[in-house]
Amino acid sequence: MKKNTKVLLAGSLIFMSILVLLITATPTSSGAEISINELNEKAYEYKERYITTEGFLIENSVDWNADAIELQFHIQDEDGHILPVYYHGVKPDNFSDDVIVIVHGYVTSDGIFEAEKVQTRCPSVYEGEDPEDYDPDFHRNMDIHLNIDED
Amino acid sequence: MHVMGNITIYLAFILSIYAFIVYIIGIRKQDQRFIDSGKGATMSIFILASMSLMLMFALLGTSQFQFEYVAHYTSSDLPLIYKLAALWAGNAGSLLLWTFFLAMYSAMVTFSKKMKRNPMTPYITSILLLNIMFFYFILCFVTQPFALLETVPVEGRGLNPMLQDPGMVFHPVTLYLGYVGLAVPFAFAIASLILKNMDAFWIQMTRRWTIIAWAFLTLGNVIGGYWAYTELGWGGYWAWDPVENASFMPWLTVTAYLHSVMIQERKNMLKIWNLSLIILSYALTLFGTFLVRSGVLTSVHAFGETNLGAYFLVFMAFMVLFSMYLLMSRYHLIKRDTGQFEAYVSKESSFLINNLILLGGTFAIFWGTVFPLVSEAVRGTKVTVGVPFFNTVMSPILLSLLFIMAVCPLIAWQRASFKNIKDNFLVPAFISLAVAIVIVVMGIREAYPVLGFTLITFMIVTHLVEFIRGTRARRQVTKEIVPVALFRLMIRSRRRYGGYIVHLGIALIAFGIVGANFDVERMETLAIGDSMTIGDYTLTYHQLGQRNEGVNESVFASLGIDKNGRDLGYIYPERVFYLNWEEPSTEVAVRSTLREDLYVVLSGWEEDKRATFQVKINPLVQWIWLGSFVLILGTVFAIWGGRYGQIYPRYTGPKRRVY
Repeated sequence: MKKNTKVLLAGSLIFMSILVLLITATPTSSGAEISINELNEKAYEYKERYITTEGFLIENSVDWNADAIELQFHIQDEDGHILPVYYHGVKPDNFSDDVIVIVHGYVTSDGIFEAEKVQTRCPSVYEGEDPEDYDPDFHRNMDIHLNIDED
Repeated sequence: MHVMGNITIYLAFILSIYAFIVYIIGIRKQDQRFIDSGKGATMSIFILASMSLMLMFALLGTSQFQFEYVAHYTSSDLPLIYKLAALWAGNAGSLLLWTFFLAMYSAMVTFSKKMKRNPMTPYITSILLLNIMFFYFILCFVTQPFALLETVPVEGRGLNPMLQDPGMVFHPVTLYLGYVGLAVPFAFAIASLILKNMDAFWIQMTRRWTIIAWAFLTLGNVIGGYWAYTELGWGGYWAWDPVENASFMPWLTVTAYLHSVMIQERKNMLKIWNLSLIILSYALTLFGTFLVRSGVLTSVHAFGETNLGAYFLVFMAFMVLFSMYLLMSRYHLIKRDTGQFEAYVSKESSFLINNLILLGGTFAIFWGTVFPLVSEAVRGTKVTVGVPFFNTVMSPILLSLLFIMAVCPLIAWQRASFKNIKDNFLVPAFISLAVAIVIVVMGIREAYPVLGFTLITFMIVTHLVEFIRGTRARRQVTKEIVPVALFRLMIRSRRRYGGYIVHLGIALIAFGIVGANFDVERMETLAIGDSMTIGDYTLTYHQLGQRNEGVNESVFASLGIDKNGRDLGYIYPERVFYLNWEEPSTEVAVRSTLREDLYVVLSGWEEDKRATFQVKINPLVQWIWLGSFVLILGTVFAIWGGRYGQIYPRYTGPKRRVY
């Protein structure tokens, strides 16, 4: 056998070992990315699987318990399917109406989604809000809400 | 302005088609007049692209909101630097920037002094023109940078707060310079395939190009990571997000390429491998763009869902098939007079192993990234693999790379004898063993970190030994004092020692990556006066305040830091309310030392001023940025001046009458 061939063989051995590594790593850490609708319908099927799903935030459903650091909210898809989410953590940035929320975690038997990670994505990611929708009182309200004297 | 802007785009598109056609005719007919006309057109495209870019900057800078792009991404109150940087905030603008770089590189290659009267040039320019044509097609028909709005808004929508960060100014530009830079070696490789010129000319000619593109790619990734770390507030710098993977994959393949070309230059081996690597790297840049701009994968970074990705996919498929066809049809020519391996333990084989590992890593990342798509096609559900998958797979790959990097410099070309292996490795092996023992004694027991730190030490020491041996050998002949000898040694072979400095940079980065795994995190809601403890730190919450930062309002908390009873002053995490944005954005407060970062995020507050804090201790993270700095230093050292700069490789390929 020529040396080049032998070296090639040895090389493929390395590549094979990486492949084996890949294949063994895949099932243990795999989750599923499914829609809210599917999750609602087949919750039992996806139990104990790490799930990623996304939907629009329903802002008035947000319930935040500061002392326990618990966040609860609902997200819905375009057809109005709703998913209740529980998260032990804080609100991510941009957590307001109509933002797309990406949640990663597990679904419990009572249909509540226990998120391990919550991320947000704007509908059109890098675009600001339409100036016509912008409420100039907003910042003022914020100040009142804060109750902070500027000194 | 609108008409002018569009003219620059459409005219450049027409010119790119024209130039491509006259180049083909010129090559066919072997008529220099056609080629010269094509050259003129190439230069004109570059001038037009610069005009489009300048015009866009002017529109953004002066807030011309009648333009859709300006209205979408800026507002009049934005600081000027971000108004201008908004050029690469959206699809149309960033593609314009890409096109500009491409046109610039094409003009540089076409009119390069080194390539003067070289018959390869028309071929190279034609390949680059194909790319330019594609991008101008997109700018003309898919996403137009100079589109007008029907009604002129009074105010623009403003720039996303996350993008109002210095990272935004540098990250996209550096990344694009890297991405686009890869088109040049690709074009050289394809041109030499078409011309059936199978020597290493194209590799030597593009060595600097590729290294510079690689350095920009590195910078782009690192700045992206730094930006994520300081701006996004989740406490990490890398999340294995599809978009991050998309820019990491070409980095890995180019790294492999930069090593394997050395074997071709010295030993005339691995020709097909190198050609495939550069084609793959180039294809991966297009694939990355497809991923980022198509929205096929769930990513927090991705641009909005557009059909733009499909065009990139089609173009990529075309270019890859075209390159594959050329590669196959020239296979027998490439195979001829290929060198042979002379020994198993040699620099060649260690470079080959490094290549295989790098490529294996690329494949692993590719697999993890597209797995959701594949599984959806096969089984109907998108199966995601997640961060644990990447960490499981990439950790052993990183470790084996470190090992190879440690061993490689000390192995001679061709054949390494057992004796010189023993001489070279005994001291480094002892030192790293000692480090391993110290680490275990210090209380770190997990396999990966112990192995990681040991290998990093091993690698650093073997590299230092190389510097010491070189200096000593030089001093025996020249009798110079040590610093002079070291300096001259490095200057004499910049490429080699520059490469070693890059390796040392990688070692420092790896040190940071391994160390960052020992992060600790705590989340607590505190009332004013309360304290929380994390690691050796005690944080006391003193006050919640508010202040103006230009047009933006910021709410900040002040926390006193105490470490093991020592007062370290205050830290001020804040949340900034940007105009036009309802929700505040995190502004992380970081107290950095080389040992560890104290990373504090103000997550929210209640009406009674209780505030929720996320606090992390991230050990050794600073080494990642420090290492990147060393890496860039090494790169610059390797390509700066030196003998390589003056001597061009000689073209020995087929002669043509046009150039």
